[in-house]
Amino acid sequence: MADELPVSLTINGTTRTLAVAPERTLLEVLREDLHATGTRRGCDQGSCGACMVLVDGEPVFSCLSLAVTLRGRAITTIEGVEAGRELHPVQRALVQHGAVQCGFCMSGIVLTAKALLDRNPHPTVDEIRHALGSNVCRCSGYAKVVEAIASLSEQPGKSAPAGGAS
Amino acid sequence: MRYAEPETVEEGVSLLAATEDARCLAGGASLVAMMHAGQPSPTLLVSLHRIPELSAMVEADDGIWLGAMVRHRTVASDARLRGAMEVVRSAAAQLAHPAIRNMATIGGSVGLADPNTEIPGALVAASAQAEVAGPGGRRLVPVESLFVDRFRTSLVRGELVTRIFLPRGTAGAVGHHLRLSRVSGDYPTVSISLVLAMEGDTCRQARVVVGSCGPVPLHVAAADKRLVGTRLGEQDVAEAGRLLAQAAAPVDDVRGSAEYRRMLIPRLLGRALSLAREHTHG
Repeated sequence: MADELPVSLTINGTTRTLAVAPERTLLEVLREDLHATGTRRGCDQGSCGACMVLVDGEPVFSCLSLAVTLRGRAITTIEGVEAGRELHPVQRALVQHGAVQCGFCMSGIVLTAKALLDRNPHPTVDEIRHALGSNVCRCSGYAKVVEAIASLSEQPGKSAPAGGAS
Repeated sequence: MRYAEPETVEEGVSLLAATEDARCLAGGASLVAMMHAGQPSPTLLVSLHRIPELSAMVEADDGIWLGAMVRHRTVASDARLRGAMEVVRSAAAQLAHPAIRNMATIGGSVGLADPNTEIPGALVAASAQAEVAGPGGRRLVPVESLFVDRFRTSLVRGELVTRIFLPRGTAGAVGHHLRLSRVSGDYPTVSISLVLAMEGDTCRQARVVVGSCGPVPLHVAAADKRLVGTRLGEQDVAEAGRLLAQAAAPVDDVRGSAEYRRMLIPRLLGRALSLAREHTHG
């Protein structure tokens, strides 16, 4: 068994110092050590997006990120997106549009959408679909997911962007 | 598994040289996935992410240097990568899907030497050179000399890729990367990377590389030669495509049969040449 190394991880603004074996991923540390189970394990291959977190604001796969490499980086997980017990606007929109079915993929989708909207507050439907390219949902068919995110892109005084079936 | 975070290239080289079965960790997108898939972990993982020079992107008169740790996301969105260098920008923009592009690096793609991804072929089409650091110092080699087999490079123990040089190429040259895949985000079934320069309607320069059709990116000088001096007519493209298809060594897999891949080569070549020509000013 490999030796554990001390590592300080900044997760949702709080810095935690842990002892972690170098082969362990951020996903494992989140779920097993920190009991933050909102980040899901799906494929463990970087194909499904269930494990997605933000590192310095960009979506990455926590299943492929070794925890020891993330010292000093700002990690955001699904547990960190709500503010004052209020759902994040992306979460609210997904609920309002009936976009959530089994929900397994949703933490990844919420974080992808948050990263997109933080960078580009008014994405087109096409930009939303491209941004979701790393997130697999096996229930919804994506249409309502895209509609929900697009509803947040509408600019005051402007009509809604064209529909999702482009 | 032991783990190290060197802060200079020289420190990294001595760690890699001193340990049998040590491996570099770049973005992790492939190496960690392979560890999950049951491949044995290296005895020592040398993470390159704390070596500042490896993340630099430097513009020179005759081209652009991409640090090995520059991520595909950065390559994909850098408007300085135009003309012939556009083939690499375009390949990086189409590689896998967004979160992989946020993690995976140009040096990682070279070290992985996966003949089924976008980057090796695009770098060969761009006539890229790789700077390799090792115990004896640094050397600059044509990138194709690194690719010796599927997932195998000519790098020896103690060596690592530090940066990649993309030459600007001849004035007016354009690069283009075209992939055909079952769905966006999948590995390409076949890809074509090319650099093209036109003089009026005549092809002045062509460098065509086929991906996903053999153990290393496929470059056939005779196919380039067949295109140069022509007007890229149907016959010219078909014959150059035939030369490439004959030299290809594709495999049968879930993305397509070897026969299907051979059939795709000339057709994708024609399409890639047309798309590239739209961007030439010859």
